[in-house]
Amino acid sequence: MNTGILNTDLIELICILVFFLGFYGLIATTNVIKSIVFLWVMEMAVIMFFLSIGYNIGIVAPIGTDLVPGQVADPLPQALMITTIVIGLAVTAVNITMLITLVRKHKSANWDILRKKSSES
Amino acid sequence: MLTYFILIPIIIAVFLYMLACGKKGRAIAIIFQTGFVGAVYYVFTLTRQEEILTNIGGYDSILGIYLREDTMAAAFVLLTAIFFLIASIYSFREKDGRLFWFLIFIWQGASVGIFLTRDLFNAFVLIEVVTVVVAILIMFNRKNRSIYDGMFYLMLNVLVIKFYLLGLGYLYRMTGTMDIVIATEALVGMERSELVLPYALMMTAIALKCALLPMFSWLPKAHGSPAAPSAVSAILSGLHIKCTIYLFLRMQEMFSTLISAYEFFLVIGVLTGIVGFVLAMAQSDIKLILAYHTISQVGLIFAGLSMGSYYSHIGGMYHIVNHALFKGALFLSAGSIIKAYGTRDVYQIRGLLRRYPGLGIATLMAILGITGAPLFNGSISKYFMATDASAQMNVILIFMSLGTIISFVKYGSMLFGKSDAEPEAGVKVPAEQQIAVFALGFMCFFTGVFGVQSVQFLFNTSVTIDRLGYLEKAGIFFASAIAGFFIYKYYIKTSKLLKRLRSFEMGFRSACVCIGVFFAALLLTVGLVQYYY
Repeated sequence: MNTGILNTDLIELICILVFFLGFYGLIATTNVIKSIVFLWVMEMAVIMFFLSIGYNIGIVAPIGTDLVPGQVADPLPQALMITTIVIGLAVTAVNITMLITLVRKHKSANWDILRKKSSES
Repeated sequence: MLTYFILIPIIIAVFLYMLACGKKGRAIAIIFQTGFVGAVYYVFTLTRQEEILTNIGGYDSILGIYLREDTMAAAFVLLTAIFFLIASIYSFREKDGRLFWFLIFIWQGASVGIFLTRDLFNAFVLIEVVTVVVAILIMFNRKNRSIYDGMFYLMLNVLVIKFYLLGLGYLYRMTGTMDIVIATEALVGMERSELVLPYALMMTAIALKCALLPMFSWLPKAHGSPAAPSAVSAILSGLHIKCTIYLFLRMQEMFSTLISAYEFFLVIGVLTGIVGFVLAMAQSDIKLILAYHTISQVGLIFAGLSMGSYYSHIGGMYHIVNHALFKGALFLSAGSIIKAYGTRDVYQIRGLLRRYPGLGIATLMAILGITGAPLFNGSISKYFMATDASAQMNVILIFMSLGTIISFVKYGSMLFGKSDAEPEAGVKVPAEQQIAVFALGFMCFFTGVFGVQSVQFLFNTSVTIDRLGYLEKAGIFFASAIAGFFIYKYYIKTSKLLKRLRSFEMGFRSACVCIGVFFAALLLTVGLVQYYY
């Protein structure tokens, strides 16, 4: 079945690439907001990877009742990824709350400036 | 049955938050903690015969989620219960109690969950819960730089958990399960090369959370945070870091049929131990000394666990418990000392034994424990680690313990002498704090004198201590104690290099680079061994 352009190997490769692209972004950027965005890029790569597990051309989503076994995508990773998205959302909310407090205090969202100003005060 | 150990603390947390935590609420908290220790102890005795298994949801083996309590998990859960009881007694009079107790109880439930769960995705969820709780507790009093420290901690831990998830995805694709036990069976006979990437991904995540060598920059910020209540620092150092060491053990066990990077973790453990105490020597803030020392001790634990013999493994396991006891005592007493003296500078605090005998004796017992003095618990675990070790490894262990002694000569100088910064005669340390600190300090002594029995009790295995060998170790301790004292007095006190090390600090981006370096090193090591295998 693995004959389409989007076979699992290619999806895996894309996921790894996006994952480490996000990681590179974290190293390269000095802006905290961008860091948070790059964390989401990494998370998206992970989610995409999980969703591709057990995927094949012609397989349908596990929704509804009249499904043929063997023709349905594995529902477990999809359920897990909903949990992951929710957790990621909550963590990002906490993160941004902290950032807003810091930005109000120090008038900057730059990692280096924040570190310098935090240790001064 | 095991579900309740996770659920009830969380329910109590919500309940206490609604009650607004007056004096009654706090009393309920203490009573609950005592009951919790009792219940955990009851289950602990049950696990001596066979492991306990609870199926959540009632689905069959592959789909079901299991909680299990075997010998190892039982020891950790018992430690958790006792530790949270003592921390609760200590922080009985905590200001802003509502949020504090809420977070502490959530933390307790989630920590027990990490020890009990067999499902790796469950472990991920619980780790995330703990991470958020800890990040909020680190900046609890919102002092100077604590918000930056909290954000640093949170982002680094959230970043690294993505590595864990990606590795878990690979594992699931290969085995079709996230259950540790079923995955262990499924992994037998798999291609080793396919496992290299998930192993490196997951172990990088675990290693950051254990603060191994290049990735420890978050730990002093979190554990030494001036804004966190002292009980939080104690739990962080004593217990929280053990959650991930526990996961490390489970994970190594799971992969061990195909991959075992024991040499890698042995080397990293030794290096972590050495770097940890060198940085600890440079500090003058008492909480930071203790925080850097946690790094050093984690390195020692990793070295013990990775040496590969029966006795060194037992030594590593026992050192986990011992480290919780003495580091807990030290952090709790440090909190009281800071409040009483109004300073965190180790050079200004003097005469502790004279002013506060209770705190002083507890601190002394904990120091003797951590340096490995004979009759105290540190000596037992260090003895076990060295039992089957090679000659070179023995030298390294003695060197590491010498480093510990040197930095604790500085810490111990707080006990004696006189200074101008001594508190007014009226400043008293609350009784419940003294009781909590003394209980932990005394346990250091107790688990040292009854070392063999304690190991038997906790890990359900039999060990023996050779009297002559133990005496030899005691001799080495006294020799290195004297050497340590003089090295401290004539070199460390005046060293300029160490003063420069004091301001050593990593930014977020350098910390990310360190994660990358560690990941690449682990991947290369495992991959190359695979190539020559």
